[in-house]
Amino acid sequence: MTRTVHEDQRVVVKVQREVEPTSYTHPVQLTSGEIASLLRGFSIREQQRLPLRWFAEELPPKPLFREDELQALAPHLEQGLQQVGPNERTHFELRSPGFNPEYGRDTIAGWMAVRDPYLYITIEYFHTQIPVRKFDNYDSNYPLPPPTPKDYILYFEPGRFWSTDEAKAQAVAYRQFLKSGEAGTAPR
Amino acid sequence: MSTYRRGVRALMIAALLVGLSSVTLAQAADSGKLVEKDGKYVFVESMDPSLKLLLERSVKSGMITQGEYDQVMKESEERTQLLSPSFRGWYDRGFNLSMNDNAFFLKIRFRSQLRFTQRFRNDAWRNPGEAKNFPELLGVFGDYRANRSENSASSFNVRRLRFYFMGHLFDPDFKYYIQMRAETAKNAQSPGSLSLFDVNFSYTRLPWANVQFGQYKVYFNRSQINSTASMQFAERALVQDAFTASGLDRRDIGITIMNDEELFPVNYYIGVFNGAGPSFNRLGSFTSEQATVDCPGGQTSGNPFPTPAGCPVNQRNLNANTRLDVDRLMYVARLNWNILGRPGYGEGDLAYSETPQFAIGGGYSYNPGINTSSDNAFVGLDLANLNIRRQLAAFGNGRQLGLGIVDYSTWAADGVFKYRGFSLQGEFYFKNVIRHNKGLPCMNTACTETAPNNFGNAMGWYVQSGYYLIPRTVELSARYAYWDPDTASANDLIKQADVSLNWFLNGTYDHQIMVTYSNTQFGTGGYAIGRSAPLPPGSGIVPLDTVGGTLIENAIRVQYQIFF
Repeated sequence: MTRTVHEDQRVVVKVQREVEPTSYTHPVQLTSGEIASLLRGFSIREQQRLPLRWFAEELPPKPLFREDELQALAPHLEQGLQQVGPNERTHFELRSPGFNPEYGRDTIAGWMAVRDPYLYITIEYFHTQIPVRKFDNYDSNYPLPPPTPKDYILYFEPGRFWSTDEAKAQAVAYRQFLKSGEAGTAPR
Repeated sequence: MSTYRRGVRALMIAALLVGLSSVTLAQAADSGKLVEKDGKYVFVESMDPSLKLLLERSVKSGMITQGEYDQVMKESEERTQLLSPSFRGWYDRGFNLSMNDNAFFLKIRFRSQLRFTQRFRNDAWRNPGEAKNFPELLGVFGDYRANRSENSASSFNVRRLRFYFMGHLFDPDFKYYIQMRAETAKNAQSPGSLSLFDVNFSYTRLPWANVQFGQYKVYFNRSQINSTASMQFAERALVQDAFTASGLDRRDIGITIMNDEELFPVNYYIGVFNGAGPSFNRLGSFTSEQATVDCPGGQTSGNPFPTPAGCPVNQRNLNANTRLDVDRLMYVARLNWNILGRPGYGEGDLAYSETPQFAIGGGYSYNPGINTSSDNAFVGLDLANLNIRRQLAAFGNGRQLGLGIVDYSTWAADGVFKYRGFSLQGEFYFKNVIRHNKGLPCMNTACTETAPNNFGNAMGWYVQSGYYLIPRTVELSARYAYWDPDTASANDLIKQADVSLNWFLNGTYDHQIMVTYSNTQFGTGGYAIGRSAPLPPGSGIVPLDTVGGTLIENAIRVQYQIFF
């Protein structure tokens, strides 16, 4: 079950209901500046699947968002987090034209949720080319399902706010981070 | 600001500009771009990081102003733009090549289906064998052969091997599509070679009136519009092949006007085609005629086909290949209504639809003037075009061989539902076969002996369903198909049941492994001209019908597909 909070060519923010019952401390009042500051601290790299993980050279993490992307996304995330319920999460998609804009769009997508004192974020696509149509533009009627979400490893700087909750899920101690007045410092 | 400081600042800017110009891959700080590297998309800052750092520190220390910084950035971006190649290439579901202005785009893809088949057939396949629906036509005259085999067969096969070249020219709305195939047909007696399968162009500027022309699959029925790359089973059901728009093949040469399936809830398709199958037209189909007009050619002077009254005695002299019915075309129309969502034509709910997807559709096709055999309705004399007859036999319409010139009027109705990994799809077909020669088919020129009954029509249906045990990854599917190839005959039904376990390795149709079990039963009853008694007088007897029985085949197909 989803409902759309905002949708334009650049940003889509939706509220998604969790499949399994959960109890987030939603809604959350965070300003877009605070959200941007938090997101600025994240960097990311793709997790290789086994057995490639044993052999492939791993790329260094990249900042999750560029500054222009943060400016586009944060205000709508603020809105989304205000509308989300305890059993829901805020899903986002940040879109840019793909290599062939007729065919696909470059997408960063994932979801955010808050269970005090932690903020959780999961990334499904990081600069992934997602088809703009359900069926191929050129190969008539051949289905183009979006690629399946990939596994990514996320990092957060300053690292002392990047911790694990009681269920061993990684999350940002966002209240502490915001109180500290420090800025997110993902390597750029 | 002192003259000295201004001088130092100017020197600094000059040094930075020189530095910028000496960097091969100079790029702008905030523009950057995604670069595909080793299969991953990596964001690369446009400017050399050390230069960027120097510039930023220069701004911070006041050596240059923000305005100067911005100007340098802009010039750097422009320079990068000018130095970059006018095309780019990347991999995304095929190798892609595009000009920067997007005036030309080429996507190259490759698809193969490698298959192992283990099949078990009952003794009826040894005798009488399958001679009515799928006879083999051998030699230059295309003599009928019953299709027989021993009980068990094990074979590896390159079932499909395709090369694709597609993209757009001049403008993203003018698209082209070329498909080459290189596989070998299942029962072929020699290896296949590379041949043209599809070549067509589409103009999509008007979403409500897209135009496609060239050679392609006719938009008529659901199962044939769908690609063999996106099926729930290793092979189409036999009934799906038997009811194509032309009655000959799923492909044809012609033109279709349709609206954009993604934009409109109701989709229409109106097409006009040769109606003679792929890479072929009606001018290739002829009737043998003596130099005397309207007198049948070939060696028809002897019994049971003496020269008709008013015609000279037939002899081997100059005869004519006469093109008749060459002004005919095939007309096809289809409507599809996406009642809920947009289920599309790919089989199964691979996308794991979050909302119900439901569509119904139907098509009608009229393909007149197909010469299925000689005018005198028997094999061996005045044979019609071999390509036409082989197409009939290859798609299971062998019972229509020998009916003379026929008009096909074919109907199809279909429906599909998908939701959360579950899918249900079905189609119903009916084909009215209108013979130009009325009455019972003649066994001799005087028509003193005839076939025991007329061919009726053909009808069939199938229903298939699937469910993703693991979303987007593992699907279990089942299908049942029913086909009556001649509604005027008894004991001729073809029934097929399939179960398939499918593993989609990366969550798309592109990479998959299928294990499909099929049980097929062919009734051998009914009359087929040239393969059932009576044959023309003096042509001997055909003992196949006295053997009778039901042909049963159990087959397991293990298939690996990769489409890249």
